[in-house]
Amino acid sequence: MDQLFFLISEGFKNVWRHKATSFTAVFTLYVTLIIVGLFMVGGENIHKIIQYVRSKYKVEVFYEQNVSDLQAKVIAEKIRKIRGVRSATVIEKKDAVNIFRDQFGEDIFDVLGYNPLPASTVVNFNRNSAKRLKFNAIIEEIKSMDGVDVVRHQGILVNKLERYYQKLLANFPFVSGLIVLIAVLVIYNTVKLSVYSRRKLIYSMQLIGATKSFIKMPFVFEGLLMGGLSTLLVYPSMLGFIRGSNFLIQSVAHLKISLSVDPFLWLWLAGLAAIISILGSYRAISSILK
Amino acid sequence: MIEFQNVTYNHQKDVGVNNLSFSIPENDFTFLIGPTGSGKTTLMRLIYFDLFPQSGIVRAGDYSSNNIKKRKIPYARRDIGMVFQNYQLLEDRNVYDNIALPLHVLGFPAKEITERVEECIDLVKLDGKEKLNPTQLSGGEQQRASLARAIVKDPSILLADEPTGNLDPVSAFELVKLLQEIHETGTTILMASHNYNLIKGRGYRIMELQNGHLRGNG
Repeated sequence: MDQLFFLISEGFKNVWRHKATSFTAVFTLYVTLIIVGLFMVGGENIHKIIQYVRSKYKVEVFYEQNVSDLQAKVIAEKIRKIRGVRSATVIEKKDAVNIFRDQFGEDIFDVLGYNPLPASTVVNFNRNSAKRLKFNAIIEEIKSMDGVDVVRHQGILVNKLERYYQKLLANFPFVSGLIVLIAVLVIYNTVKLSVYSRRKLIYSMQLIGATKSFIKMPFVFEGLLMGGLSTLLVYPSMLGFIRGSNFLIQSVAHLKISLSVDPFLWLWLAGLAAIISILGSYRAISSILK
Repeated sequence: MIEFQNVTYNHQKDVGVNNLSFSIPENDFTFLIGPTGSGKTTLMRLIYFDLFPQSGIVRAGDYSSNNIKKRKIPYARRDIGMVFQNYQLLEDRNVYDNIALPLHVLGFPAKEITERVEECIDLVKLDGKEKLNPTQLSGGEQQRASLARAIVKDPSILLADEPTGNLDPVSAFELVKLLQEIHETGTTILMASHNYNLIKGRGYRIMELQNGHLRGNG
């Protein structure tokens, strides 16, 4: 029991005894975890952002003059059934007059003596699909319907956004895998350097008659402590980043998006830090003890 | 007991030891002399199984170089205390913690560690300096701390490789006196030195090494 206590306390004391190397290791771990964490937060919230952007996509379908309100409703029903369409709201001819009055402050009957405004339909799109929205195909299908005169849309912008989103989704697993791999290598090498700097201690322990496992244990506890310390620093930094980003998004950009973070991300980061630092310490010390 | 049977070990560049045969009985105090590069350190390293003979057999205590398993080496070293010319003290901890380290390795209970370390500090006359870092001590004090660390586990064999090499004559004399005191408690001591004046006339056995060969043994 005394020996176990010694090994644990020795691991923790080593962090203090070798402040410079410990600080370097903790800081490197911290920076790496921050990068991994921010990337994960980005991945988690990207769908939320695309949902918000899709909610802003709007297509206005104007019907030919001879299309009655009833016929417009029939066409709108057909539009609603197109895959990817969320809603199709009909604006009847008389509603168009009211909108004109609201926007221009004049009654079109007073100006022209009749209502030239056609019935129209406002189309909104599904927001939740992770797949690319086939915007052009939808527009073409609407245009081909009988009675449809003009379709107004932001096609170029929407297509660009959807293309970027798809690229991002396609590359996300690869990029996140790469970032985690780089993080693992950076942390592993930092811990390894910290262990190498204490070769004299390891040699002395060997001369005294310490077994390999006895020599390794303090380094493993030390790795665990450094992983824990860096994770403790990462939490407030990440929270600060998310809150700051939400403030900028909502107060400065006036967007109704709120970034969130999955509580499991914290556990995931802590686990990653612990596993890498323990394995890093263990492997580094094992390579010296060969 | 330490025993060498036709032991040869040659380094790639330097001279090692050649066909050495001798034995040092229990409770003996032996001086090993010879110029720098004569093979004294190689001989010491063979005893604590840091090196293994290319031919011949080394026996130290209950262990023998021809059949010791790698994982048993730490256990063989637990019965051997070592003192080096460059002290080999750990500079990241104080004198007390340096001396206590072998006892932690051996799994001694905390209370006994305190008692033994204090006893050793008293023996090597480092009272009041236990909280100091090794770098804050003089050469002589560092070597005494190193000696305390070697004897705290009460080994049956004590190897001292040029322990006075970095010390002034007074400190060197005091250290040899301390080694004599330790020997009187029943410890087998092998001390390497190239300073013949320091060891002559003490009535102990002197072995002389030259170019890896044993020249004098008696």
